[in-house]
Amino acid sequence: MFGLHLVLFWLSLFAYGAEAGLQLGNVFPGSPFRSALFGGVVLHSLFLALRWALSGHAPMAGLFESLTVFSFCSALAAFLLCRTEETRAAWKPLSLLVALPQAGAALLDKRLTPLYPALDTPWFATHVGLSFLGYGIFAAGLALAWVYLKQGGEEVYRAGARSALYGFSAFSAGMVCGGIWAYYAWGSYWIWTPKEIWSVVLWLYFATLTHLKFIPAGSGWPGWSRRMEMGATAAGYFVMLATFLGVSLLLRSSHSF
Amino acid sequence: MKALWRFLASLKTCAWTGLAFCLAGAAGSVVMGRYPELFSDMDAQVLAGWFAQKGWIAPWPTLWLYGLLLATGLMAANAACCTAERLVQIFRGKATLRRLLPHVMHLAFLGVVLSHLVSSVYGDRIPGVAVPQGGFAPVGSTGWILSLDRFDAAMAPEGYPKDFAATVTLFRGTTPVARGIVRANEPLFHEGYGIYIKNFGATPWGAPFAVFDANRDPGAAPILVSSVLFTVANLIYLFPARREDA
Repeated sequence: MFGLHLVLFWLSLFAYGAEAGLQLGNVFPGSPFRSALFGGVVLHSLFLALRWALSGHAPMAGLFESLTVFSFCSALAAFLLCRTEETRAAWKPLSLLVALPQAGAALLDKRLTPLYPALDTPWFATHVGLSFLGYGIFAAGLALAWVYLKQGGEEVYRAGARSALYGFSAFSAGMVCGGIWAYYAWGSYWIWTPKEIWSVVLWLYFATLTHLKFIPAGSGWPGWSRRMEMGATAAGYFVMLATFLGVSLLLRSSHSF
Repeated sequence: MKALWRFLASLKTCAWTGLAFCLAGAAGSVVMGRYPELFSDMDAQVLAGWFAQKGWIAPWPTLWLYGLLLATGLMAANAACCTAERLVQIFRGKATLRRLLPHVMHLAFLGVVLSHLVSSVYGDRIPGVAVPQGGFAPVGSTGWILSLDRFDAAMAPEGYPKDFAATVTLFRGTTPVARGIVRANEPLFHEGYGIYIKNFGATPWGAPFAVFDANRDPGAAPILVSSVLFTVANLIYLFPARREDA
């Protein structure tokens, strides 16, 4: 079964790579559900389900599992936010954002690891799962913002704005689950580590972003416009990357990935 | 006074303080690692206690923290003033759930900030209570004595702990006041304190020992209520998802 689950992993990577290649070659699927990306999501779901069954815990621990779940959530976000004719233009950049973390995961050790007892709780899966769902939606936000900045479009703008709100909501819920878990596991809902600080930075970044569009035009704010909002939505992806990978790889934090 | 209110209720204040928080937090995440002598024991006591000891001795490395606290305070004031102002407008017109929800989220955010302030001042942290099996140790200044009656650990062949459980009794003087099994994610709660197992091992003479933390967070329950309120309001706000202004 271990071998089979790795085959599913590689097949999903192949499907994501195929989608990215086809998109870059301007070959577009007739419908989202007849795409290589959809095939990849199905294979990826099977891989994750099988890995969960084999390891006995949600496959969200360590860099390999974090990257592959990030890729999976980014792919899911394509179906959540980019389903219409106009917004499907975002599939081109998004397919790359799906394939790259999966390709990165392919380079890492894929062995099953036992879970430290503190991580053996439903709060682990809900905290990490919701956080990664938020990350995936932020990836869709970058893709939509990119398309909007290149070619505009009312629907693309609205989907881009929704990405900030949906991603923020998922990430918020993930933070609440993390706080509850930390309180029971480590004795405090908050500890001073770079990861926690960056999590609040990311949360506040998108909380602020969702407020900015309500500032009346010409009220002294330096020319806030839809283009700036989409630029900030795109930049949010990099704040997320700093939180997810930057802190874990560059700074010393007891809270990994 | 009017100008101050306008400043505190303004969305632009929200924007700039949000940005200031992000910059201060990003700087702090780097500075913390550079000054371990200042920041490594931040979680060993509540924030007010840490500030009293170290908050003022090195102004430059702690500048980010002042910024973070100032931005948090401004954001809380901003959310409170915005909600106070908008609620008056909403109730003068047509009060709908849709218009109220963002302000429910503001109030929940305020609940989190104020409760965290309570925990940061009135909470307590007692780290590193080491007890050998069959032994006793005092729990800080609570007046309790912690006894480790029994310790069991199941180890994987690779050396990872698969499970561990400490059977403990809390005494006040010679009277037992609480008894229970402490394991990962399952602390023992007594009179507002949680007893958490942090580490374990064997003494030089082979007896098992466990290290416990005892923490009190008076703001934890209000934070939980506020967070759940925030999440529920947020989720309701997403439906119907296709809002005109997204």
